[in-house]
Amino acid sequence: MAINGVSGVGGFSRPAPVQRPSLTEPGTAGTNGTGKAAGGGFADQISDALASVQQSQEVADGLAQQAATGDLSDIHDYMIASTQAQLATDLTVAVRNKALESFQSIMQMQV
Amino acid sequence: MSMFNAISTAHSGLNVYRTWLDATSDNIANANTVTSTDEEAFQARRILAAAVPGNGAGVGGGARVTGVEFSSPEGRLAYQPDHPLADEDGMVRTPDIDMSVEMTSLLMAQRGYQANLAVVERARDAYRAALQLGRS
Repeated sequence: MAINGVSGVGGFSRPAPVQRPSLTEPGTAGTNGTGKAAGGGFADQISDALASVQQSQEVADGLAQQAATGDLSDIHDYMIASTQAQLATDLTVAVRNKALESFQSIMQMQV
Repeated sequence: MSMFNAISTAHSGLNVYRTWLDATSDNIANANTVTSTDEEAFQARRILAAAVPGNGAGVGGGARVTGVEFSSPEGRLAYQPDHPLADEDGMVRTPDIDMSVEMTSLLMAQRGYQANLAVVERARDAYRAALQLGRS
C-alpha cells in the first residue's frame, strides 16, 4: 500500500521530455505543430515538480507521524518514503540550480 | 511506476521478507503449542510470494505476497499423560513444526531483508552520485 502512496513521485517524471520547442523558434517546431503552447514553460514544470515533491514529503510526514504515535507497522516504509522524498527534493533543487545558472549566463552575455 | 524504480522494487522485497519474518516468528512462537486430540493442531504459516510484472523496459516490478499456506492440521500426536489437555489414552496434539526448518527460514528471511536494504542504500547512493553530475 505504501508503494502506491510513494509512487506519487511518479508525477515528477513528466518534465523529462525537454521542452525544446519553447527554446527554439516556433517556426522550426514543425514536428509538434502547436509550437510552444504544449507544456506551458519551465515555470509550470517546476511547479508541477514541486507539487509532486510536496506530495512525497507528505507521505513521509504521515509515516513519521505514525512512527511517533506507534502506529507504524513497517520501519522500512518510513525510511524509504523519506529517502525518496529527499532524493526528489535534491533533484528538484538541482534542476532549479541548473536553470538559474543558465539564466544567469544568458543575462551576463555581452551584446 | 515511479522515478526511483530500484528503491520501489527493493521496497516490495522488504515487504515480502518482513511478512516472511513475521510468519516464521509466529511459527516459532507456537512450536510448542499443544492442543487436545479432538482439536486441530497449530498450523505453521508458509508465505507464498510472486513476481510483480514490470512496466515496460523488460524489468519486473519486484515481489509481492500472494497468500499464506497452512501446514497440516493433523500435527503430531504425542504421549503426554500428565498434560491437562491429554485424552483418556494420554495423547495430545503438537504442531507439525520442525525447528531446524524454521530457524533456516528465519536466517533466509533476515538475510533477504538485509539484502533488500543494501539495494536501497546502493540505489540511493547511485541516485545521489547522479545528482552530483556536472556540479562544479
